[in-house]
Formats: sequence, structure tokens, C-alpha cells
Amino acid sequence: MSSDKESHSHDDIGCLEAIEAFYAYLDGELSDPQAIEDFEHHMSHCRSCFSRSEVEKLLNERMRESGTSKAPDDLRSRVRRLMDEF
Amino acid sequence: MVLTARLMTDSEDTKTFFSREIEENMDALYGTALRLSGTGADAEDLVAETVSKAWTAIASLEDRRRFRPWIFRILHNCFISNYRREAVRPRESVYEEDDDGGLVALLNAQPDDFLVWWANPERQYFNNMLGSAIMAAIDGLPDAFRTTIILINVEGLTYDEAAEALGVPPGTIRSRMKRGRTMLQKALWEQAREAGIAATTHNSRHET
Ligand SMILES: [Zn+2]
Repeated sequence: MSSDKESHSHDDIGCLEAIEAFYAYLDGELSDPQAIEDFEHHMSHCRSCFSRSEVEKLLNERMRESGTSKAPDDLRSRVRRLMDEF
Repeated sequence: MVLTARLMTDSEDTKTFFSREIEENMDALYGTALRLSGTGADAEDLVAETVSKAWTAIASLEDRRRFRPWIFRILHNCFISNYRREAVRPRESVYEEDDDGGLVALLNAQPDDFLVWWANPERQYFNNMLGSAIMAAIDGLPDAFRTTIILINVEGLTYDEAAEALGVPPGTIRSRMKRGRTMLQKALWEQAREAGIAATTHNSRHET
């Protein structure tokens, strides 16, 4: 089953395919096991894609922290009053 | 009618369900409304309008487990019809096509300086990058990409949920993430360049 193809070197196509799968992988949306394996294999060999993925992960965390907001109390009570009338 | 009778008997239950879901999603709805509309007052109006519209349309919620994409779809539609910023963003349509050559074309269209920078990102720079700078860069993206990134990366919707919320096929969401995140990287690179952190090949101060 294991094809012994030369996979130590990657070329631009390899990086392009990795970039194609990049965000789906980081967002937990890559479901095909083969696609996950291929991606992770590329990450383990390609310094550029690896450091890029580290930075993208950091961005994901930062967006989660900074982009979210808490609804103001007056909005919460306004909506509750609204729903009381339903 | 059977359906009407069921709705009548379930009305208390439906309202309880609806209220609980609204309460639980309130921060996410407000946060998204705030990012989309840009002001707190508009965001509050947008959420209130969404809640009213949603209750009126509650019969259209076929699967209660899909409440989140359903309510975000109503929010997004309210935003499109009433609160979308006046500025037209003509570039948006350019990025809308969903072909496989899209990413290659997109990358080919980027300046070499950017691609070099992106292939060797300075971890330290990103460590120190302020969340507000990232969010400002997101706000500058065309609407389709901005909205998709906010729903997925900020509010944590799945690709499927975002597709349902925005009324587009899941493939479009994948495509928007690739393009949108590439554009985001480029915007961050431009910020870095303005701050004098990323190198440029042309030096405007020393023209020969
Ligand atoms: Zn690579």
C-alpha cells in the first residue's frame, strides 16, 4: 500500500496544494484522512509552510480574542422586553 | 390543520426555546452586528430587528439544531437590506469566481515582496501585533470576505453553518477563506511596511 515515492523534496505545486488546504485544515474543516496526512507531511518538510501555519494559527487565536464583543446590558434588556411581547 | 394545532400547543415551548437561544447567542449576534455595521447604536438596532424578524419567521426553522446559522442568516439579511455601508465595493465581484485556478491567479497577482514576506513570516512581529490592528485589516476587506472571516474565525461558526448563514454553497466558503485570508495577510503586510518593519525593494526616500 505504501508507495515509496520521493516525498522529501517539495516544489511549488506542493506548496500551492498545501495553501489550498491551509485554512480548511486550521479551521478543522479538512475531513479526508488522506488530505490531512498529505498536508501534515508537507508541513513537516516545508519550512515556509510550517512557519506560515504557525502565524496563521496565531492570527486565528488573536481574532477570536479581539473580535468578539459582549452585548451591552441595555441591549439585553431591550431584547427581553421585545420578547416579552411575543 | 395539524401543523397549526402543533404550533399552538407548542407555542410556550417554542418561545422558551427561542428566548434561550437568543440569550445564548446574544454576544455573538451583537459582536457580528458591531463588526458589520461599525457602530454600537446600529449594532443594537440590527440585533433588535433580527430578533423581531426571527420570531416572525420561526416556522421557517426546520431543524432546531440549526438555530445558529438560521439566526445569523436573518442578521446578515437585515444588515444587507438596511445597514450596509454606503460605500460600494466594486472589487468584490472580481474575487467572487470560484474556479480552481483562482488561488494561482491570486498569488500570481501579488507583489513578490509580499510573497517573500509571507513565506518567511516574522513570528515576533505577529506576536506583538495588536488585535485591533488585525480587526482593522479585516474591516478593510470586501464585504463577502469580511463577513465570512468574522463568522468563522471570530464567532466560530463551522463552514457549513457559515454557508447556510450567508446563503452560499460550502465550496464558496472554502474559496472565500483562501482568498480572504490571503488578502488579510496582504493587508497586514502593508501595515508592516508602513510601520517600516517589512522590507521593500523600492526605497522612495532615495530616488536616484
Ligand atoms: Zn510548502
